Amino acid sequence: MEKFESGMAELLEVDTVDASDVLEGFEAWDSLTSLSIIAFIDENYGVSVSANDLVAAKTVGGLKDLVLTKAKKA
Amino acid sequence: MDGNKEYILITGATSGIGCSIAVNLSRSYNLILHGRDEEKLEKTKALCDQGKHLVLYRADLAASGELESSLAGLITEQGLQIAHFVHCAGYMKMLPLKVLTLETIQRSFAVNVIAATLIVKVLTQRKVNNALKSVVFISSNISNFGAKAFSAYAGSKAALDAVMKCLAVELAPKVRLNSVLPGAIPTEMTKDIFGNKEVVDRMLADYPLGMGEAGDIFEMVNFLISDKSRWITGQQFVVDGGRSINLSA
Repeated sequence: MEKFESGMAELLEVDTVDASDVLEGFEAWDSLTSLSIIAFIDENYGVSVSANDLVAAKTVGGLKDLVLTKAKKA
Repeated sequence: MDGNKEYILITGATSGIGCSIAVNLSRSYNLILHGRDEEKLEKTKALCDQGKHLVLYRADLAASGELESSLAGLITEQGLQIAHFVHCAGYMKMLPLKVLTLETIQRSFAVNVIAATLIVKVLTQRKVNNALKSVVFISSNISNFGAKAFSAYAGSKAALDAVMKCLAVELAPKVRLNSVLPGAIPTEMTKDIFGNKEVVDRMLADYPLGMGEAGDIFEMVNFLISDKSRWITGQQFVVDGGRSINLSA
């Protein structure tokens, strides 16, 4: 799952991300980045998340948990 | 009705705009309904007026290499004469450039452009079909503009409109081609856009006439395939509730 962190860091245009980082707190956070993250998750984990899911997940760690939970169910 | 044996081929007839067009046109024309999914095709067929002939054509339009032979085979085997063609099949994936994939670009162009072009080619081959009179491509109002995350989709729709203009000249006076450029319409294809309330609220503010529906696109298509538009070819008709001319800040 390290790929998740490195992917998120690239999309959010930072060197590294922490689980506690708040998604909406990133400077690069906008609707386009949120679309990119949705596409990244779909492509790499076969999991479909919505823009509302991202907002609800709040943090990088929260989003990772969501993806893991959804991936297990699938 | 244009004669007993004449048909309209509608690609992407199993959902959204294509389904609405199919159901509405079935009241006046024989139809060939195209889709990828047998079950969905049967559902669309059941929604159509049962008074006319309805033929089902299952094919994946992204399989460009098989398209010409599968369509020509269907026409020849069933003795069909196709007078009108409406290309509603469309593939849209909103992806910002940094996550755009080769596969998405290829599929967008295969379904939206290559399929439309090859189908017109088959439908104008004398030995296969000698009845084609009019063609309508469902394009998009993004075709003449730009938006974030739309490069593959908008690129393919702009290409589709360019093909339309070239073939309108090349195939005149026998065949007329035009395209309809809808704004965003709530369908299966756009469910991700319309599933986001914030986006929908922002969009509503941009549409002077409010949101449209699939039936609004049908009305323009119906006019463009009919002889009422006999002196119109090679044109893009924007049907988007005023979205693309709205410069309000």
